[in-house]
Amino acid sequence: MIARRSFLAGLAAAAAARPGWASVGSPAYIAAAKRADGGFVLAGLDVSGAERFRVPLPARGHAGAAHPTRAEVVAFARRPGAYALVIDASTGAVLTELAPPAGRQFNGHGLYTDAGATLLTIEQEAEGSAGIVGIWDVAAGYRRLGEFATHGIGPHDARLMPDGETLVVANGGIATDPDDRTKLNIPEMRPSLAYLSPTGDLLDEVRLDEELHFNSIRHLALRDDGLVGFAMQWEGEPAMGYPLLGLHRRGEALLLAEAPLADELAMDGYAGSIAFAADGTELAITSPKGGRVHRFTAEGAFIAAVARADVCGLAAHPEGLIASDGFGGLVTIGTGGTRPLARHDLAWDNHIVAL
Amino acid sequence: MRAIHAVAFAVALLSQPANAGVPEAIDAFILPGFARFSAAATDLARAAEADCIPTALRPPFNAAFDAWMTVGDLHLGPSENAAHAVAFWPDTRGFTPRALQGLIEAENTVIDSAESFAEVSIAGRGLFALEMMLYDEGFDAYGPDSYACRLVQRLATDLAAQATALDTAWRDDFAATLLTAGAADNPTFLSEGEALRALYTQVVSGLEFTADSRIGRPMGTFDQPRPERAEAWRSGRSLVNVLAEAEAAVALARRLIDAELPLTDAALDSAKDAASKIDDPGFQDVGDASARFKLEVLDQKIEGIIDAVEQEVGLVLGLQPGFNSQDGD
Repeated sequence: MIARRSFLAGLAAAAAARPGWASVGSPAYIAAAKRADGGFVLAGLDVSGAERFRVPLPARGHAGAAHPTRAEVVAFARRPGAYALVIDASTGAVLTELAPPAGRQFNGHGLYTDAGATLLTIEQEAEGSAGIVGIWDVAAGYRRLGEFATHGIGPHDARLMPDGETLVVANGGIATDPDDRTKLNIPEMRPSLAYLSPTGDLLDEVRLDEELHFNSIRHLALRDDGLVGFAMQWEGEPAMGYPLLGLHRRGEALLLAEAPLADELAMDGYAGSIAFAADGTELAITSPKGGRVHRFTAEGAFIAAVARADVCGLAAHPEGLIASDGFGGLVTIGTGGTRPLARHDLAWDNHIVAL
Repeated sequence: MRAIHAVAFAVALLSQPANAGVPEAIDAFILPGFARFSAAATDLARAAEADCIPTALRPPFNAAFDAWMTVGDLHLGPSENAAHAVAFWPDTRGFTPRALQGLIEAENTVIDSAESFAEVSIAGRGLFALEMMLYDEGFDAYGPDSYACRLVQRLATDLAAQATALDTAWRDDFAATLLTAGAADNPTFLSEGEALRALYTQVVSGLEFTADSRIGRPMGTFDQPRPERAEAWRSGRSLVNVLAEAEAAVALARRLIDAELPLTDAALDSAKDAASKIDDPGFQDVGDASARFKLEVLDQKIEGIIDAVEQEVGLVLGLQPGFNSQDGD
């Protein structure tokens, strides 16, 4: 239903012929950052870590979603978010401001589907934090088309499975106060990984063992064969040293990927981003609190830790992975080791989004 | 107040190069600290070979723990992992007694060689495993010809090996990583200032750990104090460790900046004064209202040191906490 309508909308979008990514230097990544003077920007980066464009952002964002063809980015406010901005990457102009319907809040992430014809936004109900996926018609100027439930509390990240229509959502499990980020249900939290059909039917649901119910499933990485990696944040008592990375393939049992206990403790119970390396043989999670990156094989075996203060953003890179940090650094992490790539006078925010 | 800081900041930028303080901290504080810990742990291992009985080993054990406390809260470089193996605390899941119990009940031969023992969980090794063997009444009643005696000897030689490895790794490797901050081939520190920031972060995070965990864990809540969660309460070192860490943090801070630190000095004195009023050095009396109050005061004094260090060192050097580590997503 949506797919067909979106296909038609996609044609319309193409016809509108807004400038493509080549118009802003064909960046490989976009990343939000804070300037030394306190202002916020959205930057485009190439694989060498050099800036291809930089436009101002009116406030601190969380993650961005890049349109697959147009030089257009949706920047989501930090959760609980009352707005998202559609930004022209060539000028920084705010093309459209998206607001969720009454009683809904954006939750930091979103993604384009149907070749850019549709935008999906991850939201929650302000009261109770039940998860919602908002559906927006891009060609119609980001008109809200509808919504469906994520079948969980406090969703955060979501990805489109390789079939092009199934959505996998990280239901973090945490209910938050509608006005601030106060967590309301930690003792009862039950995060889940939910697979949803294009119409919002719950196709599959994966939960952690009871012992790990404090492990909020927050960020996702997807390999092109459908292997899902999920990064977690521990909300229970500190210094427990539980695993922070899980792997799942539909129809199979989930696998928790554990580092040696001393390494696990050094992560400080927090994984901020997750990505598969370019060749898909390994994946990694970052901990800004622990100042380290943990590398694992795609089968879940620990490879090594990489130390880098305040590291958070992570994405695939020709050398393996690229990581960003709050001190402006960009490093590559690959089989050949870790290499400094660039340093900017910016504090890179939580995520790097690969185009 | 703000204006004063702004002036101080400008002065510091003029007078102190980006990496200033880092060589001083390494040469005059960090490397001597690890050398002392290595020597003390080696002494403990020798003493254990001569006599494994708790009464004989407690003095060299405490000497090794004292030496550890000057560098134990440095969680960077080789210490990032190794610190957890030397000092496995807090043991939130009760791993240490279980690991020791398991070894003793099975009379596991994994203790027979250094190589095989290195595979034992970090929870069953290090200072806190030794403390349990030397002080816990469930473990400390062993005789000289027992498995437990040989276990203690292995724990001590393993600790000495860990201490020597740490000393070597800092001296021969990570000191250079800090000193070459900003070099093209240094992926850990991308600018000179990052090494200084990394060391400063250790000062603050160590003090925060002391306030939040060393004091905060046994405090629990008013209705539910948790004395059994105090660090090293079996050996009555909880208070000693709080003060030793605070002194070590301030000593490191002093090396990072070429300036007098009157507020920090006063805050440390004030913490020592508050500590002198505490009756039970193992914090086991935290259920008593007046004892609890004294511990709360000590907690505030440690927070006071953090504030002073941030004002006199962090702000002056222009160091702010990381953008991403401060709040979640």
